[in-house]
Amino acid sequence: MFDRAKASPRARTREAALLPGAFPPSLPAMVTLEGVGKTYQGRAGAYEAVRDFSLELAPGEFFCLLGTSGCGKTTVLNMLAGFEAPSRGAITLNGRPVTRPGAERGVVFQGTDSLYDWLDARDNIAFGPRLAGVPRAARRAAADRYLDLVGLTGQGDKHPAELSGGMKQRIQIARALANDPALLLMDEPFGALDAMTRNILQAELTRIWQAAGKTVLFITHDIEEACALATRIGVMKRGPGGTLKAIVPVDLPFPRDRTSDGFMTVFRQVHALIREEIVA
Amino acid sequence: MNRVTTIAGYLAGFALLFLIWHLAAVYAVRSALFPSPIAVFPRAVWLVEEGILQEQIWASLRRIGQGFALGTALGIPIGLAIGSFRPVRLLLEPWTEFFRFIPAVAMITVSVIWFGIGEESKVFLIAYTTIFVIIIATAAGVGAVERNKIRAAQALGASRWQVFLLVALPATVPYILTGMRLAMANSFVTIVAAELVASNDGLGKMLWDARLFMEINDIFVALVALGLLGFTTDRIFRLLIRAFAGRYSPTM
Repeated sequence: MFDRAKASPRARTREAALLPGAFPPSLPAMVTLEGVGKTYQGRAGAYEAVRDFSLELAPGEFFCLLGTSGCGKTTVLNMLAGFEAPSRGAITLNGRPVTRPGAERGVVFQGTDSLYDWLDARDNIAFGPRLAGVPRAARRAAADRYLDLVGLTGQGDKHPAELSGGMKQRIQIARALANDPALLLMDEPFGALDAMTRNILQAELTRIWQAAGKTVLFITHDIEEACALATRIGVMKRGPGGTLKAIVPVDLPFPRDRTSDGFMTVFRQVHALIREEIVA
Repeated sequence: MNRVTTIAGYLAGFALLFLIWHLAAVYAVRSALFPSPIAVFPRAVWLVEEGILQEQIWASLRRIGQGFALGTALGIPIGLAIGSFRPVRLLLEPWTEFFRFIPAVAMITVSVIWFGIGEESKVFLIAYTTIFVIIIATAAGVGAVERNKIRAAQALGASRWQVFLLVALPATVPYILTGMRLAMANSFVTIVAAELVASNDGLGKMLWDARLFMEINDIFVALVALGLLGFTTDRIFRLLIRAFAGRYSPTM
């Protein structure tokens, strides 16, 4: 059992066996996960989804968590979001322990069922400010700015049922950003989209991330997507007991040229790491 | 264009129904006990001119309206509570599952003993037949709210109360409206049965009196009136559901 009283989280992490590249260079950590584990108690017995997961995120970085299905990557995100409590270890954001969902951690979900069908796009985006008590005129004006940011200028009056899958994901991103979270958690947000739309949205996301200056944790099982978006890629071992296997820094300029030698080198490196998890 | 087609279809459907009725009465049955619509229609006109038909219709509709409003007003909060809180569900689910199988028709006798043959017993029966349908539909609606809708609100900083008021409640509205539509159909069944057994006026009473005095045309006037009223009410409900809830749920 982890005892927080013994040492500061930062100091304990230093002692723990961390992977090379696990520390973002120079900046102090904003998010820390230390020896985090999650075990589900089911009828068929206990299932260990995540084991001894340790990671630090620096402000402003775009971290892709990459792994095969069932490796526990979504469980890590759910614990960071506060939807599920870790069975072991500790999670902190800006030094404070994460115990429940909160407005400083925005979430973009894989499916579009998290949008509110009874609200138009503008009111969906303005939902967070509405909860915080921002007056109607101000929050609708803010929502319009975020509609512009995600490339949906003039679409604010449409309801989710009238929007395409790609547009709905843009609304989800805008809704999370309009709440001005410190950390943006994205759970395979483009997984259900066709390849063309996905490529467009990946480029858009890079632009939005640079414009908004947010720290992002992005879950995916798509190697190319991770190489195109991330400043660092964390590759997970397959489940059960999923954990970080390697961290690959991606030191390439944005927007990324997917046919460049540098991109290919990173892709091959990550591909080899993932391949071991599939073949093994 | 679409609306015109729909109305034309309804009119043609009703015309066909009356035609078959006429042919069956005149050429197949040929009995005084089964009058053709041509014989029934003048009687309906006379009943309207004398103000008798409107009076019966109004008596029945008023009871349905009051009982339905009462049952809905009580059913929605109970359904929300059952859907939202597990202890309430465990406590009250046996009630709903128990009374659901005691039809309102079976409650007529006890209702008359308790409330007499006046308005109260009818309103009670309509409220009774309405409330369980509403409770079950509402509770099912709360249970069907997608987890990600709730999680999204939590991640945007929503309190428990805000999640309930701004997410669970609006997401449940289509289910409530559908429950109300079903309950309204039940109310028509119940009011006739209640008025048949014990009442001073209403369409059920009109049916009963017509049987006593062998006014066979009156029976058919009352039956057609019931069918048309139910049909109209249901259409109005469907229009309301479309207007209010169409945007609430893409599947409605």
